[in-house]
Amino acid sequence: MRDLLESYVKKGLGSGASFCETRFFEERSNNISVENGVAKTLGSGIVRGVGVRVIVGDRWGFASTNVLTRKGLDVALADAIGGSRSIREYGGEEAKVSDVKPVTDTVIHDVKVNPEDVSPDLKIKKVLEIDKAAKAYSDRIKDTFVTYRDVLTKVIVCNSFGASIEELTPRTYTYCTVISREGDNKQVGFEFVGNVAGYEIIDAIEPDKFSVKAAERAVKLLSAKPPPRGTYPIVVDQRVGGLFVHEAFGHNSEGDLVLGGQSIISDKVGEKVASDLVTIIDDPTQPNHGHFVYDHEGTRARPHLIVKDGTLVAFLHSLESAAKLGGQPEGSARAQSHHSPPIIRMSNTYFAPGNMSFEEVLEGIELGVYLAGSQYGYVETQKGQFTAKAEEGWLIEKGELTEHLRDVAINGLTLEALKNVTAMGKDFKMEFPGMCGKLSQSMYVDNGSPHMRIEGIVVGGRR
Amino acid sequence: MESEVDLVTPVERAISLLSKMDLDVFDVTATYSRSISIGILGKGIKETSSLDDLGIGVRAYKNRGKGIAFSQSLDPADVEATVRKAVAFAKMAQPDPYFKGMPGPSKAPEIMGLFDGEIRSLDLEMAAKFVKAMLNASEGVRVGAKFSGGMSAGYWRSHLMTSTGVSFSEERTHIGAFLSPTYREGDDVGSSFEYDYAISLGEIDFLKIGKRSAEKAVGQFGSRKVESGVLPIIVSPDSSGSLCSGLLEAISGESAVKGRTFASNCLGKQVAPEVFGIVDDGTIRGAIESSTYDGEGIPRRPTEVVSEGKIMTFLHNSYSAGIAGVETTGHAQRGGYGGYVGAGPTNIRVRAGDSSLDEMVAETKRGILVEQTGFFPNMVSGELSSTIDEGFLIEDGERGHPVRNLMVGGYMLDLYRNIEAVSKEGRELGKGHFFPAIKIGRVKLAGK
Repeated sequence: MRDLLESYVKKGLGSGASFCETRFFEERSNNISVENGVAKTLGSGIVRGVGVRVIVGDRWGFASTNVLTRKGLDVALADAIGGSRSIREYGGEEAKVSDVKPVTDTVIHDVKVNPEDVSPDLKIKKVLEIDKAAKAYSDRIKDTFVTYRDVLTKVIVCNSFGASIEELTPRTYTYCTVISREGDNKQVGFEFVGNVAGYEIIDAIEPDKFSVKAAERAVKLLSAKPPPRGTYPIVVDQRVGGLFVHEAFGHNSEGDLVLGGQSIISDKVGEKVASDLVTIIDDPTQPNHGHFVYDHEGTRARPHLIVKDGTLVAFLHSLESAAKLGGQPEGSARAQSHHSPPIIRMSNTYFAPGNMSFEEVLEGIELGVYLAGSQYGYVETQKGQFTAKAEEGWLIEKGELTEHLRDVAINGLTLEALKNVTAMGKDFKMEFPGMCGKLSQSMYVDNGSPHMRIEGIVVGGRR
Repeated sequence: MESEVDLVTPVERAISLLSKMDLDVFDVTATYSRSISIGILGKGIKETSSLDDLGIGVRAYKNRGKGIAFSQSLDPADVEATVRKAVAFAKMAQPDPYFKGMPGPSKAPEIMGLFDGEIRSLDLEMAAKFVKAMLNASEGVRVGAKFSGGMSAGYWRSHLMTSTGVSFSEERTHIGAFLSPTYREGDDVGSSFEYDYAISLGEIDFLKIGKRSAEKAVGQFGSRKVESGVLPIIVSPDSSGSLCSGLLEAISGESAVKGRTFASNCLGKQVAPEVFGIVDDGTIRGAIESSTYDGEGIPRRPTEVVSEGKIMTFLHNSYSAGIAGVETTGHAQRGGYGGYVGAGPTNIRVRAGDSSLDEMVAETKRGILVEQTGFFPNMVSGELSSTIDEGFLIEDGERGHPVRNLMVGGYMLDLYRNIEAVSKEGRELGKGHFFPAIKIGRVKLAGK
């Protein structure tokens, strides 16, 4: 396949492209779905194809196919080249890429237990055991769902700088969802594990510390209260902090959004954008869910310091944004599959820890809200307004956690919120393996944070 | 665009293999699609994209256990491997006590107008002209924006066969355009978006999208925070689709009948005042969500879902209908060749009322006009806490300044119960959906 991709890079250059990139993508997945003690569905899938990206006359053209014949690739190359030519008369954004030193490498992420070496029967047994523990937690458990999934992703990237990279990445997951019920009151609890890893992380699951936790949360939420409404000091746990750094700031630091005028920090490099307590890093080299060695443009990944002690240091870059904004490409461009061009994505993004204990973070808060467990978030980068939804919360009264709250959501203005970070804990964790959506592409990421305090955040309550 | 890929032969080959494997029931679907798109970022057009996709998916049931497999290759060897994987998995899966089987064949008159030859022959050069015209229309309102957005158009064809005798092919086209301009005046930002989608090229007004996107963006300058309170909100036709979709999702398929949504116990109950009604109609000629058959081969039919505020039916596929002990309503949704078959609405038509958006605003002493919000509730509990992404303060019957940093909270069923008025005018989308403005009294808002 590598030879075929390299031959089409040459063919692209011979057809008038000044830059040509060919990328093979294959993803093999297996999954098991258990519902209320029944392993009712087993599934598998293979996604496989090639994406071709060219610059012709300063314009980008991209095409993809999963017809992996020479005829299929000829059509894709012709589509990419023809596409870039078709927009040359219409102005807009010129295409540019940084010229990087080419690398040839093959990376295979080792795992302790290859999921393909574990029989489906053993996997079913383990998933049923996880499910059973949740169900047994209480007679108020209405439904339990446990899903197992393993994914093996192979990416081969060749480009006209001479890069030739192959990376094989296994990922393994288990998700547990529990619905509790008391009369008409229904609540839901989650737990999940997932990483660049093999079956060993599933083997290591102890139901008491996993599905039982989800069940316990679902049951306790039955008696939790709706949050109050208004503007409060908030304290967030590591998962909500991770969601906050990803949504509120991470997207704003993506170079493509910066050069496209979609970021509120596009003109703020070197300026203070957060309190002195805030340091933000995106690090694809860390062994978390967003880990990779080469991005999908063939660039070696390095840690990215985005904000240091409250000052904006740099953006995340692709070959294009580095060329246009003057930064260094350090491996931030990835694509969901062969059907999408690489765009700038976060990897493992986090707030660096401070030196406070959890009690110190809470200290001095007369009335506030503590948020724990992330559900989802989104941001309007151009306006700098973000929303984050937590699984549960607690009222903070005089520095103590008091009333249990459910379905707590917050809204804030990015720059205002980051300047209002007034306490940063030392209890850092990166444990939010998730998928990030951007421009219709979904990508593996992780987020982390210590406990931290932010003043003046809108809490969207129901009382 | 090309469409020579043969879908029928690989599906028949898979069916032939499956029929020798001692299964309860099975189905096979294959799809081919081709689409083109133009991407917009920053100063204007940035890139083009062309996509060719095909795949085959197999669902096999053995002793009521389900095995699923799909592949993005129609080569005979890959088709056979996909079949064998699905069957092996079906034999390992445990019996689903709720599974009652797959439906048999039905005949229905073909829904016309789902295919547009103009889109089939549309190339990127012509598409770029439309996109440029859309950008020019936006700049005609005000220059100096940075943009994001684009347009895409495509052709899609599928073939489905089941062991119960269902066999049919479908082909359709689609087109969509989206433009989001962002203007800056110092630290003040004016940003919004506009979009449209349809089956046919002629249904998309690129100039209107460009012009309206810029007008809406400019209207967002000067946004301000407002105090928390309990106020009426008027959900504009641009946003009421999200409000109604939440209810329809909560009464669709397996989750609804297994008691896992906030509306699971609402069948036959009054959930809103009589002014509120929803018809789901997957038979509208040329409409975006129309089709002759649903994802299992059941003929589409118009369905009165909410009548005078009362929920008349859930939206079923054969699985959820089997649990409820009723006939399927023809709302099975098949997500391509991936093997998953769910249930959900088609073209959503909210019944027009007798008010108007202008009257609603004029009659409001103090409230919020919600132009853009995703009403994303907790689907299990129905609890809602969402940001008003775009909205305006209404004071003394007049639309005032745009708001920011404001959230709406409550319970979905309370929102429907508190509907006070529905407008007679609204927004048509994709020639199928119709969403009017909806006024809701006494909503909890969280702000400064």
